[in-house]
Amino acid sequence: MLETYKKQHAKAIIQYIVVDFNGQILESDAILFGNSKEENIVDVSPFFETVIHLLESQDKEYFFNCIHLNLNNKSITADIALKTFNKEKYPLITITDLTSHYKHYQTTAQVRNESVINSEILELKNSYLREKEEFKNTFIANFSHELRDPITGIITFSDILKNTQLDDQQKNYLQILKSSSSFLKKMIDDILDISKIEVGKLQLVLKPFDIRELLKDINASYAIRAKEKGLEYFTSIDEKLPLIVGGDAMRLRQVLTNLLDNAIKFTEKGSVTFNVSLNQVRAQKASVHFEIIDTGIGIAPEKLESIFENFTQVNNPLSFKGSGLGLAIVKYLVELTRSKISVESEVDKGSTFSTNINFRVDSNQKLPTKEEVKIKTIKSDKKYNILLVEDSEITQLSVLKILARKGQFFLDIVSNADEVIPRIENSEFDLVLMDIKLQDQWGDEVAKKIRQLPEREHKRVPIIALTAKVFSEDLKKYKKAGINDVVKKPFDETTLINTISKYLK
Amino acid sequence: MKISKKVVLIGHFGVGKSSLIRRFVENTFSDDYKVTIGVHIFKKSVAIPEEGKDVSLVIWDLEGNDDIRDTRTSYLLGTSAYIYVFDVTRPATYNTIGSDIEYLKQHSDKTPIRIVGNKEDLLTKEQIKDLNGEIEPLIDFFTSAKTGNKVDELFSKLAMELI
Repeated sequence: MLETYKKQHAKAIIQYIVVDFNGQILESDAILFGNSKEENIVDVSPFFETVIHLLESQDKEYFFNCIHLNLNNKSITADIALKTFNKEKYPLITITDLTSHYKHYQTTAQVRNESVINSEILELKNSYLREKEEFKNTFIANFSHELRDPITGIITFSDILKNTQLDDQQKNYLQILKSSSSFLKKMIDDILDISKIEVGKLQLVLKPFDIRELLKDINASYAIRAKEKGLEYFTSIDEKLPLIVGGDAMRLRQVLTNLLDNAIKFTEKGSVTFNVSLNQVRAQKASVHFEIIDTGIGIAPEKLESIFENFTQVNNPLSFKGSGLGLAIVKYLVELTRSKISVESEVDKGSTFSTNINFRVDSNQKLPTKEEVKIKTIKSDKKYNILLVEDSEITQLSVLKILARKGQFFLDIVSNADEVIPRIENSEFDLVLMDIKLQDQWGDEVAKKIRQLPEREHKRVPIIALTAKVFSEDLKKYKKAGINDVVKKPFDETTLINTISKYLK
Repeated sequence: MKISKKVVLIGHFGVGKSSLIRRFVENTFSDDYKVTIGVHIFKKSVAIPEEGKDVSLVIWDLEGNDDIRDTRTSYLLGTSAYIYVFDVTRPATYNTIGSDIEYLKQHSDKTPIRIVGNKEDLLTKEQIKDLNGEIEPLIDFFTSAKTGNKVDELFSKLAMELI
């Protein structure tokens, strides 16, 4: 460091100038600029014009570093010192030319500033993209939620209609209505899953389950669907599979049914094969191999990489229905289990999707007891008072029709959160069905107020939430608010009645 | 009658202080960013016909800093007015505007300070309106050294105030 300074100053060119108190040059070298004694220092550079007033001070010293001056038509960068004495001695100005030193400093500063500005701009662009993405996901989530009430209406009334006197043509129309609403529901579930995935909110819920029972159930359903399309359906389930494994049964079903749906959708003739085999059991983990083979249209090699991207349909989207989200969801779910999905395909020959998923195996794992899963039978001789808190007229009507068909319920409906507490205090309800997204309040907040009521029979009334908001943090919040159970919208008659039955005495 | 006034342009680096001065003094503009180190000094006379006077503005173009407290205090001696410049597209250049202005006022509370949002050509009118509502204290001018918008007006009005 010291040597650097020495070098700079050894090379430095210094001009000394003595001026009077008005800036008139009295004596000077001519190293940096020549001068006549008549000249005033303010004429040398505008810099001196702005410091001339300092010459009137006494016994002061002022330093101005890194001043760019134009002297004798030459640009220099200099340090300037201005020293004043008492009134009997004239001020001294020194100009030290440090152009070469400051040139190095300039280069360093240029690189540093450009880098800082570029990273600021990059951060701004990223933050803009993040906001845009967040807006999109929130929009999709809200929009999908809004669709759930009308879909509940369609599903409920299709069920009700099925049990009325219909001719063959009407039955045919009803079947179309039901399959359309199921398809719509699946699409909305896919979109919601993707929006959850993109904000990192989709997580696995690991519980013991009977994997063979799940596979049997899937096989039963898809054997029928394949047959309906004129396809052969082959399946092989390894007998060595453990009976009970720990994992997310619902998401495993989603992965397998998405792959089987695609296999049937893209196969016009031939077969669909579903094989499950045990790779190994080690360190309380069972590695299970799943394989879905079809003899369908196949995928071109250049398109294989993009099939797991959102909104991708490598085949003509006009020929095949779907959101194009299924495989993206499959890939994400498989990766959540720390595994990978792979695909082999040949155009016009078919495709094979396969994955190895690990499940927890522990001899202490037990399935929920029969009592836990058993649906309580409603006493046939008793009538129950139910309060429905719901602002959607479609859902009000759907619940009313479902409960009315059973003939065992009196239904009271409020659509305004403020009416709930007085209504409960003035009646005796056996159960409350609570919408969560009410117009004026959140349903879980209303539930908290119910749990704080003074009368024991009022505050202990079972509360079931009716909602599409079923992220894991939502479920925790409902539980904390004293909500006993949740029925996810859109719901059907069986789900609603089964859930209600669990809480009726 | 000729009056000379020192005007200091201060603010973060890369906000366009040098470009504003070049636009005012030479009526030129370059998209290339060249960092300023230390101080460049420019001079331009502004005629005030209503007063029959010429004001000679000696404009100090100061090196930009992340923190204006790092500015050498000798640079601020004898300042007649400050122009605090920020870049409307970079929040980092206006996030500390309130405390920066306070710092300058502590230095010389009677010296006028003009707050200028430069590079206004890069934002829409709506965005400028939002930004104006967002920043405290109020912004005096939104300028563009590139298009020249409001640059002459900024210096001319300041010159008038200084006489």
